[in-house]
Amino acid sequence: MTKARVVVVDDSAFSVGMISNILIEKGYEVVGSANSLSGALETIRRVSPDIVTMDMTMPGADGIECTMAIHEEAPHIKVIIISSMMDDEIVRKAKKAKVSGYLQKPVDANELSLLIERIQASEELFVELDGVYYSVFKEALKETCCKFFQAAPNFRQELKINDEKVSRGVSAVLGIIGRYGGRMLLDLSEDTARRLAFHILRQEDLDHEQVVDAIAEIANIVAGNACSLLNRANPIYGFRVAPPTVVYGESIRISKSELSTVSSVIAETAFGDLYMNVGFSRSEEHE
Amino acid sequence: MSKEYIKAFSEAVSNILSQFGMAEISLKEIQGCGKNIDASGVVCIVGVFGDLTGNVIFSMTEDGAKGIASCMMGGMEIESFDELAQSAISELGNMLAANACIGLSDLGLEADISTPTLMQGIFTLSGNYEKAERIAMDAGGNDFDVIVSLEKRGQK
Repeated sequence: MTKARVVVVDDSAFSVGMISNILIEKGYEVVGSANSLSGALETIRRVSPDIVTMDMTMPGADGIECTMAIHEEAPHIKVIIISSMMDDEIVRKAKKAKVSGYLQKPVDANELSLLIERIQASEELFVELDGVYYSVFKEALKETCCKFFQAAPNFRQELKINDEKVSRGVSAVLGIIGRYGGRMLLDLSEDTARRLAFHILRQEDLDHEQVVDAIAEIANIVAGNACSLLNRANPIYGFRVAPPTVVYGESIRISKSELSTVSSVIAETAFGDLYMNVGFSRSEEHE
Repeated sequence: MSKEYIKAFSEAVSNILSQFGMAEISLKEIQGCGKNIDASGVVCIVGVFGDLTGNVIFSMTEDGAKGIASCMMGGMEIESFDELAQSAISELGNMLAANACIGLSDLGLEADISTPTLMQGIFTLSGNYEKAERIAMDAGGNDFDVIVSLEKRGQK
């Protein structure tokens, strides 16, 4: 694990000294300190730390306002609140402001170092997920096509871009829940959907609902299989798939998502193109 | 769907939107709806998994979405439902679902939520279950519906 670079923000020079000493003793690098909101922002711009420890009460702004201001500039910086005050209400507010941890003063050296280790491990876990999820979902899509259509699709336009999309007409949306939130989307034209459903169900007069159900189930199988593979590779992910919602109509725009990482690909099948878009969000709000 | 679950969602809308300074938020009606739902306009779909599993869909007109996003951004004038406004509505969906889950946990039901997916246009939604509830609300003069398509674990 790389050595975390930490900035200590506290209006008491005594606390800055004490927390810095603990961090240095535990092998972390203290790259700066500040005693106000403006000072904190100036310091993080200058030294780009991995982690900031933050006092709750400071002149001009409280620790939560400071955390929000830091995240506005640098959303990837993890903030740990270290305060003498600690009750359910403050902790709830801090969680809402996406604080990574809350410790009470006088801070226990082992508790602080354990929290930093946990934050770093989580960051590395997301990097690991980012490195594997696309190939796992692509493989699950390929396997599903092979089983249902007895042929592997040709993949094209493999992209890692998060932007707005226009639906081809039918879009199955599946929420992913676990260590990280995410979602998978399978999009295809009404004609392709009908041809796929016909091929699977071998029935001429399929009604619209049967076509929609078939697409929902295909999407569910792809997402379910992919999440199982990811969970098998690392059980900490604990991914689960919410049931699909299928959106269909003449004009559907899919907005740019609030995801930290997004990948998409078009799978060409004998029945038409399947567009898959999958991504995950780095924040862990439900830990 | 138990009335208590519905209450968690309608209260989440009131709690969160009032935090953005929206004054008039009221529950208009609760309707049962089938599997297929006309929800043209703007929808924010959030997956739910846990003691309750399914989806929660926040539905509004594009003008309604602009009005709500404007309120969330301190009254800033919003001419088109652009990326910034879309991001605000996505974040609202996330906050509402998370807040409702806190309300549900008070009832002893634990559930987690997925990242929201935002869609706009003219379309029909096909839910995962045969029945859903549509909670129709008025949010500062804007129609705001919460479509709850959830089932308790083990219930079909």
